[in-house]
Amino acid sequence: MEEFNYLAPESFDQAVVAKSQHAEKSRVIAGGTDLLLRMRDKVVAPSVLIDLRHTSLDKILISNGVMILGTSASLSQILENSEITQHFPALQTACREFAGPPIRNRATLGGNIVNASPAADLVPPLMAYDASIVLRASGGDRALPLAEFFTGPGQSVIAPDEILMEIQIPLLPASSAATFIKLGQRRSMAISQVNLTARLSMNNSDCVTDARIALGAVAPTPVRAHSAEDALVGEKLSEDLIRMAAKKAREEITPISDVRASLEYRLEMTEVLVRRALIATWKKQRRTKTSG
Amino acid sequence: MLPGKNSEERKPVDEVEIKLNINGNVTQVKTEASTTLLYMLRDDLGLTGTKDGCSSGDCGACVVMVDNKPVNSCMMLAPQAEGTTVITVEGLEKDDELHPLQRAFGETWAFQCGFCTPGMLISCYALLETNDDPSREEILTAIAGNFCRCTGYQGVVNAVQRAAAELRTKNEDTEKTDV
Amino acid sequence: MSDLAIVGKWTAAPGAREIVTGQARYCPDIQLPGMACGKLLYSPYARARIVKLNVSAARKLPGVFAVITHEDIPGENSYLYAEPDQPLLAVDEVRFQGDAVAAVAAIDARAADAALAAIRVEYEELPGIFNPLEAMQPTADQVLKGHDNVMMSQVYRTGDVDAAIESADIVIENTYRTQWAEHAYLEVEGGVGLVDHDGGITVYSSCQAPHRDRMQIARALGMSESMVRVITPYIGGAFGAKDEAHVQIHAGLLAHAAQRPVHLIRERRESILTHVKRHPMIIDYTTAATKEGQLLAVKARVIADGGPYSNSTHEVVNKCGEFIGGPYNVENLEVEKIAVRTNNPICGAFRGFGAPQAAFVYESQMDDLAHKLNIDPLQIRLLNGVETGTKMYTGVVVREASGMKESLNKAAKLIDWEKRDEIERNPKPHLRRGFGMATILKGAGLGRGLNDHAGVVLEMHRDGSVVLKSAAADMGQGIITVMAQLAAERLGIDIASIRVARADTEKAPDAGASCASRQVMVSGNAVLEAADSIRDTLLGLAVRKTKISKDRLDLRAGHLVVDGKPHEMTVKDLALRAGVWGYPLHAESISHFEYPTDVPEVTYRYSTEVFQFCTHIAQVLVDCETGQVTVEKLVAVHDVGKMINPGGVYGQIEGGIAQGIGYALTEELIVQNGLTKNPSLENYIIPMAFDIPELEMEVIEFPEPVGAPLGAKGIAEAPIIPPAPAIRNAIYDALGKPLYQLPMTPERILPVVNLDD
Ligand SMILES: Cc1cc2nc3c(=O)[nH]c(=O)nc-3n(C[C@H](O)[C@H](O)[C@H](O)COP(=O)(O)OP(=O)(O)OC[C@H]3O[C@@H](n4cnc5c(N)ncnc54)[C@H](O)[C@@H]3O)c2cc1C
Ligand code: FES
Ligand code: FES
Repeated sequence: MEEFNYLAPESFDQAVVAKSQHAEKSRVIAGGTDLLLRMRDKVVAPSVLIDLRHTSLDKILISNGVMILGTSASLSQILENSEITQHFPALQTACREFAGPPIRNRATLGGNIVNASPAADLVPPLMAYDASIVLRASGGDRALPLAEFFTGPGQSVIAPDEILMEIQIPLLPASSAATFIKLGQRRSMAISQVNLTARLSMNNSDCVTDARIALGAVAPTPVRAHSAEDALVGEKLSEDLIRMAAKKAREEITPISDVRASLEYRLEMTEVLVRRALIATWKKQRRTKTSG
Repeated sequence: MLPGKNSEERKPVDEVEIKLNINGNVTQVKTEASTTLLYMLRDDLGLTGTKDGCSSGDCGACVVMVDNKPVNSCMMLAPQAEGTTVITVEGLEKDDELHPLQRAFGETWAFQCGFCTPGMLISCYALLETNDDPSREEILTAIAGNFCRCTGYQGVVNAVQRAAAELRTKNEDTEKTDV
Repeated sequence: MSDLAIVGKWTAAPGAREIVTGQARYCPDIQLPGMACGKLLYSPYARARIVKLNVSAARKLPGVFAVITHEDIPGENSYLYAEPDQPLLAVDEVRFQGDAVAAVAAIDARAADAALAAIRVEYEELPGIFNPLEAMQPTADQVLKGHDNVMMSQVYRTGDVDAAIESADIVIENTYRTQWAEHAYLEVEGGVGLVDHDGGITVYSSCQAPHRDRMQIARALGMSESMVRVITPYIGGAFGAKDEAHVQIHAGLLAHAAQRPVHLIRERRESILTHVKRHPMIIDYTTAATKEGQLLAVKARVIADGGPYSNSTHEVVNKCGEFIGGPYNVENLEVEKIAVRTNNPICGAFRGFGAPQAAFVYESQMDDLAHKLNIDPLQIRLLNGVETGTKMYTGVVVREASGMKESLNKAAKLIDWEKRDEIERNPKPHLRRGFGMATILKGAGLGRGLNDHAGVVLEMHRDGSVVLKSAAADMGQGIITVMAQLAAERLGIDIASIRVARADTEKAPDAGASCASRQVMVSGNAVLEAADSIRDTLLGLAVRKTKISKDRLDLRAGHLVVDGKPHEMTVKDLALRAGVWGYPLHAESISHFEYPTDVPEVTYRYSTEVFQFCTHIAQVLVDCETGQVTVEKLVAVHDVGKMINPGGVYGQIEGGIAQGIGYALTEELIVQNGLTKNPSLENYIIPMAFDIPELEMEVIEFPEPVGAPLGAKGIAEAPIIPPAPAIRNAIYDALGKPLYQLPMTPERILPVVNLDD
């Protein structure tokens, strides 16, 4: 690893100042579970590291119908939060299936996003929950939908002087349910071959009023399967409809072959898993309806 | 300490000074900022109980407690540990007495070569700190990031349950004497 | 000695305290004053000519103590195997990704890295040879100039195979493929070299064979063996790969060149890229049988890809051939064993020495046969299984084979084999459940005709405490505990009073390698012999003192025992007496693996004659849409002859099963054009805790009549062998369709699911 200057600003404001000062030459470090590997492999060699550990950006709270997650919330914190259990269970499932406890204690939500891996596990649930993010630079804040953040593997729209501050997720109506599914090569410590989240809102007659299907590891960035979603909205849910939507999802993606899975397998699995996620979500809907 | 960290034979790299609590002792260390917590423990402090199996977060041999949570010390920079409280395998023994978990590991053959043991012990220790009667599932979850090539993890499950039982009796006893 | 006090009882491992407190020192933990950091420069190419190699800039860097290339090796520039064909440092060509080119020693890791970066190597990439079938062609370019690409080609025949096939009711022919597998011990290869005051070299080595290391290091240094000392500290796993020398030789060379201690530890990535793997094999296999399921003949051709250098390839491929017919009575057998050089990764010993590949094939084939003939897999195995006294296809007469059928029957009972159809086979439309078994044999020891001996030194002091010196390396498999137990048993003391020194060539005689499940037998026998000699002296003294005849005396629980009752005189008293009266309680014993001579001719070369038998039965659930396999249950029954250390035995079994499950389902080094694509623990997929089901294990004991200490025949290798075929057969049972390639990844299973019947 190349040498660098390590800074641990005492406040977020100071961190923002430092980031604008050192811009391209610097990197923010949160849990370090991605960054340190890339520095060791000399993929990146920042001369300044800005550690966010003293910036209190790990708060999780609800305000005005929006859940706000600080960028530095660790996966373990997310897992332990009961409000997330209540409102965004699919995000917790993704955390539970992520690496193992020691990594989850360090890895952060913001790191998972900014790292911009196409296989990032937390992104599909966040996208399915319509999350947006807030970036801060010394010039001010900008908010954007998470789906617009990614531009390619490891690439995003974040500017060299910006720091991700928080993730916002609007609370959902009770008529909405979601399912996260991850396909990995073993039960823990696995990077996704395919991951996805499906979310459905439905009315009393099983008609889909809103649908989200967000997929990871099947394109240069995490993606939404828009045409599959469109095929669902306004229709009465049935197994046939779900099968058709799953096929559409498969047609929308552009996976590659790598050491974890072949292109063909990813295509095939996307169809299978989208179908399973939609069916599971449908069942959850029914359960919530019959129970209350 | 490895030789020549400050040797004149080579331009010294800037060092940072780190203060932290390790196994109950307040400790001050000077090391390079790029040193991982793992190598600060091993090279700068001679605490070689904590092992390096991959230096990439994948094996768990390097797991230590930082502020009451098990983390991979290979995935943390030394300066990130500034001001924290760290417990390593060397810190589990109290007053020359093994922690029940340590004893149980030996009794149930929870290891063979023992190289995964320091990290495995810390992951299990962390579990027992919050759960005094863990199920098999809970134990497997706790060690889901700890790779062992020699065993099939069965001995570890047995050891944790044995230690938990012992700790429960101990606690009951102290509760009784408290009353 | 009918009831045993210590042997067969649970006991905590000696050294457990060091391990659980973090005090156990492994090679990476060794820190010496003035110690330099050593590193090697490895080839990034699978095959290239070295056009230029210039280290002068690297030598001039500050903090660099030594930079060596092949030119700086004082002695022989090669590892020592059947053929000493692998250079320690490449001369004019690199032949696999990972061939070492130069070595450096510097003041710290950063300086060593800088030195590596300053070494100028100009390579001219050459077209590599990656397909063993092409490499075998007579027209193929030679991987190693002057050496045939076919490094081994032998045919072994017994009976009349062609005639038997001709007369058979059924003949089944398949081709099987296995993968490169990585040992992935948690402690990667390493060594520490240092210069002794008299100019000799001491090396701390993470190895399985300290005396062979000594020979190799001396040979490379051009020194006499007496000037080299090898010590094994704690070892973090080995599984065969540390039976092959690695960087400990370079550590010695660098220490010599730098004239200071050198710490040379590979990184994980380097370890995966540069050290030996389990051989991938292509095995054509033909089985002929009667319609009742009686085996008539087996015909096999084994082609192993060894990479460019021989390493232990000859031994591995020979062992693969030795077990190719399985634990069955096959009168007509022919096996052609071929090993080929390529520019792929080097391959060598890995737990089981070729037996896992063989078992995947013969046990898969057995189920194919059972399915075709509609015979129960258990029954067809019982029908063909070897029995005590059976003359095997190798010419060996099995002296004790009861464990074969007993393990089958016990395992079947444990999983309720007869009632397996009452379990839900189709719990959901896309899920299929299946059951599969595999029963195997694995020989212990190196084999008839090979030098297979071990020595120990045992000393009892005046206070009754004992030191046991052995050079048998303990890599976690537990030989130290076994030796301590055996000595304690015979000396009537508890194992806490025995200190076992870790292997050191200067303290103990050669014990050979800790491989081939041999140490329990050879070192075990040596310990018994040495302990008996001390015991004799102690009892002789007791006779003098008590005037009771020796046949009424025994030693037990620290006491002299008379007619089964403890006498007031203790072992300590006797030891003190011996010290005072000048009877040395010192014994040295060298034991050789025993092969009876009054047996029919053994026709298979280097055949083993003591067999571990075991049966595993797996219950799996296959997801027919994703191809994922869950091993829901696995039962294992092992015949170990005599169980000396239960903790160690069960540990070896469960650990072997975990490795076997990985071998079956996920573990595969992905090599394309000689380059390894997944050199990390992130992408080489080893089972973690959740991937291993709760295991049911049972040990059975049919003591080996000849040459085994108390009948014990070792355990280390057997458990890794059956999981792959058992799981394969369970998947076959679940899907009704067979697989012929390892590992059985989802992507290999899906096409099989979708095959039309
Ligand atoms: C063994 C192991 C297993 C893993 N398993 C998984 C898995 O199952 N699923 C998965 O998705 N990932 C996995 N990962 C990847 C990694 O853990 C996650 O991506 C994690 O969420 C990253 O968070 P971090 O806090 O560690 O990020 P860091 O490494 O600290 O940062 C990652 C990147 O984001 C930047 N960054 C971080 N925070 C900010 C911010 N606030 N503003 C601007 N830039 C920022 C950094 O500069 C860096 O470029 C694994 C990694 C390891 C080592
Ligand atoms: S050494 Fe840290 S996880 Fe392997
Ligand atoms: S005991 Fe060897 S890796 Fe776990």
